[in-house]
Amino acid sequence: MKRSSIIGIIIIAIAIGTIISTYADSSTYGTFTDAQESSSELHVVGQLDKNQELIYNPEKDANYFAFYMKDNNGKACKVVFNGTKPQDFERSEQIVLTGKMVDGEFHASKILMKCPSKYNKDQIEVQEVSTAS
Amino acid sequence: MDTQFAGEHLLPGQLGQFFIVLSFGTALLATLSYYFATVKDTLDDSWKRIARLSSGLNTISVIGIGSCLFYIIYNHYFEYHYAYSHSSRSLPVYYIISSFWEGQEGSFWLWMFWQSALANILMWKAKSWENSVMTTVMLSQTFLASMLLGVEILGTRIGSSPFILLREAVEGPIFSRPDYLTLIGDGNGLNPLLQNYWMVIHPPTLFLGFASMIVPFAYAIGGLWEKRFKEWPTAALPWALFAVMILGAGIIMGSFWAYEALNFGGFWAWDPVENASIIPWLMLIAAVHVILAYKSTGHSYFTATFLTLISFILVLYASFLTRSGILGETSVHSFTDLGMFGHLLLYIAAFAILAIALMWTRWKQMPITEKDEETYSREFWLFIGALVLGLSCVQVLATTSIPVFNAAFGTKIAPPADEIQHYNKWQVPFAVVVAIISGFTQFLKYKHTDPAKFWRKIRIALLIALIAAAGFVYIAKVYTNLMYIVLTFAGIFSVVSNLDVLYDALKGKWKLAGSSVAHIGFALLLIGALVSAATSEVVSVNTSGTIAVEGFDKVEKPKDNLMLYEGEPMEMDNYTITYLGDSIDGPNVYYRVNYKNIDKKTGKVVEEFDLYPNAQQNPKMGLVASPDTRHYLTYDIYTHATAAPQIKEDKHEPHEGHSEDEEYDTPLTKEVSPGDTINYSKGFIVVKSVNRDASIEKIPLAPNDIAVGMELDVVTGGKTFTVQPLYLIKNGNKFDFAKTIEEAGLKLRFSNIYPDRDKLELMVYQKPAAPKKWIVLKAIKFPYINLLWGGTIIMVIGFLLSIFRRQKESRPTR
Repeated sequence: MKRSSIIGIIIIAIAIGTIISTYADSSTYGTFTDAQESSSELHVVGQLDKNQELIYNPEKDANYFAFYMKDNNGKACKVVFNGTKPQDFERSEQIVLTGKMVDGEFHASKILMKCPSKYNKDQIEVQEVSTAS
Repeated sequence: MDTQFAGEHLLPGQLGQFFIVLSFGTALLATLSYYFATVKDTLDDSWKRIARLSSGLNTISVIGIGSCLFYIIYNHYFEYHYAYSHSSRSLPVYYIISSFWEGQEGSFWLWMFWQSALANILMWKAKSWENSVMTTVMLSQTFLASMLLGVEILGTRIGSSPFILLREAVEGPIFSRPDYLTLIGDGNGLNPLLQNYWMVIHPPTLFLGFASMIVPFAYAIGGLWEKRFKEWPTAALPWALFAVMILGAGIIMGSFWAYEALNFGGFWAWDPVENASIIPWLMLIAAVHVILAYKSTGHSYFTATFLTLISFILVLYASFLTRSGILGETSVHSFTDLGMFGHLLLYIAAFAILAIALMWTRWKQMPITEKDEETYSREFWLFIGALVLGLSCVQVLATTSIPVFNAAFGTKIAPPADEIQHYNKWQVPFAVVVAIISGFTQFLKYKHTDPAKFWRKIRIALLIALIAAAGFVYIAKVYTNLMYIVLTFAGIFSVVSNLDVLYDALKGKWKLAGSSVAHIGFALLLIGALVSAATSEVVSVNTSGTIAVEGFDKVEKPKDNLMLYEGEPMEMDNYTITYLGDSIDGPNVYYRVNYKNIDKKTGKVVEEFDLYPNAQQNPKMGLVASPDTRHYLTYDIYTHATAAPQIKEDKHEPHEGHSEDEEYDTPLTKEVSPGDTINYSKGFIVVKSVNRDASIEKIPLAPNDIAVGMELDVVTGGKTFTVQPLYLIKNGNKFDFAKTIEEAGLKLRFSNIYPDRDKLELMVYQKPAAPKKWIVLKAIKFPYINLLWGGTIIMVIGFLLSIFRRQKESRPTR
């Protein structure tokens, strides 16, 4: 067998290895119900439950932030994040959490939020000028 | 158009739209005429003349588009959607430039602009390559122009024009009013995070990098097409080096911006958008190395061609990833879909098919060698190194493409939960292999090297590298992880080996300097990135004042954020830090944090400085914080406010209908006699005596009137204030005159006299304590991060030297 063929085989093997590892390491999207049943970290997509209070009291603990999120099935769950309240959190439209369920609370290690951006939501803010008409 | 809208400036938009159509038409014409100029083997060069003319017109129209758009943004014509969305009146001129390319359309324009600049250089310099190379370049220009068209053809909108009017883009009742423009005061403004000087130069650099990657691609296509198989690598090499240099610099500028202006606390996060820019870069770096191998020995022709072609396809793929909205749930940075999903795919498909078709038809004629390279030869290891770079690219590509995979196959796979760890697991070993190969290959000659000589040289280099690496590992404290130690060694080995070559180069073989300098820079970059990322340490660790949350503290890492009250010093790492207050500059609030390094033994202040992490309290986008960093030669202290109280609008003006007492808490009412001491929350009040002969200014006292003063000493905060509130009975009516002590936030009333009990009534009004100012701070120490930035600069210098050399070499070929 030629050496170049051997190299080729090794390269292809590693390439396949990287791809398999991608899918082996990949996580899953789920709901809070799925999180309850799983012990590993997963992604939960949902919206901030705006009827419930955001808990962040830096005077007491600058590293404790909690809020309620509704997953895509509408189930609300308390989410605890070990850090500060992300800026502009109240305005988020969609939240993607990475984390797991601990004692009925979802402990997020990462919060990714989509805010109403100028790219997709054009709300024209009107500056009312009173006209004599 | 029934309504006549007042105040609109339609001319610049119409002119801009005209230029877009013109640029599309001229690009298409140039593509076709360059095609015919290449195919028709006649002496008559009329096709070429048409092609050149239309390329020139294309350049003019691209500049025209840019000028019109800039004019619109600069003059705040908010009747245009682009100006409304990306700019505002308060934006300084240099940020108007960044708002220009904040949107997709602007960044497409930037790409077009660079591509036409490159096209002009090619027309001027490419000589015999002009026809075939320009055909490909102008084809790409045609596609880019089509992205801006924004015209409806058969019910589908093709592209997205930056000259669309606000009233056309957005639905709204106000647009039925002819004077709607008077209602729109200001634009949406530029995202505060982009209001950074790096955002003025990072996008142009990055896009010049992307744009210039078409040139090596076009040379490869031209080479296959015109059957100039052996010539194109030499001609394409300087261009490939140029693209690699610019794109590399652009990527690192982006990470410098992220480090300086963003608050994720680092310079690289393996975000899909970052990955999208590094994927083509890795592939082209690999291509450069095999092109070299081919040029010198005739080996690896197929690999060189394939990598050159695929790297530009990956540029198109990267722009598909970031612009189609497909990354939606995995990245915060990407654009959302502007309805160009299919259009972008078509762009990729066209170039991919072109590349595959040419490789297919020319397969038999390509000068592919059957012979294997020798193991002790430079070309062999250039080839292996390139393959490892390719693998590293495939790994990043595979994970970044998860959303594409989901879209294509309807699956719902989420990216790895711990992305950083996932990428590092693969990329660190790849980096080790690449660094080691880039080291020892320097001791190999092309074609054949005497193994004994090679081993003699490498033994010395290995020894020096081992000693240096051991020392560095100890100093930089990277001994916690075996892979880190290995990578540090590999990087240092590469530096040592390349220094050896550089030493020879300085003795006269200066031609060789370029590659060794670039390799040294790259190795330093790797070491810097590794050490600063691996040993960066959050120094604002919170050890007190936390409320334990059940089951939470145990599993999570120590708390990273520190609460700082104004004026209250805290110990942090070697420093005593104090939040000294804030200042407001435009939309930004700067929090002044004082750092003092106090020598523990002598108590002397060794070093003192202030950092000003800031937060923009943007009414449209909320609170956006940016860090401030103290740079030292061997480390950085990075400080960033993770939370701060929202500054409220000024309190209501005092006006009628409010009693003054509203400002105070419910008063404390006491019955006192001279000699009494009253305690209140912030101090105490001593009733000294009663002044029976008090007089009141401007109020003459009748004989029956009584005016009494109560002499008080107020002791608070180490100060004593003497005041005398008054009590008055005039014409049988009771009055009292309170005294306020602003400094102590007190108001004291002598409100009554009870002769029967021989008591006086004192009312103590106290202002509520002003809430203490605070910020929550996170501070991170990044050791040796200067190696990353410094390495980049050295690498760029190395590329420059190589470009000069290879450019000279490519010249003799007509």
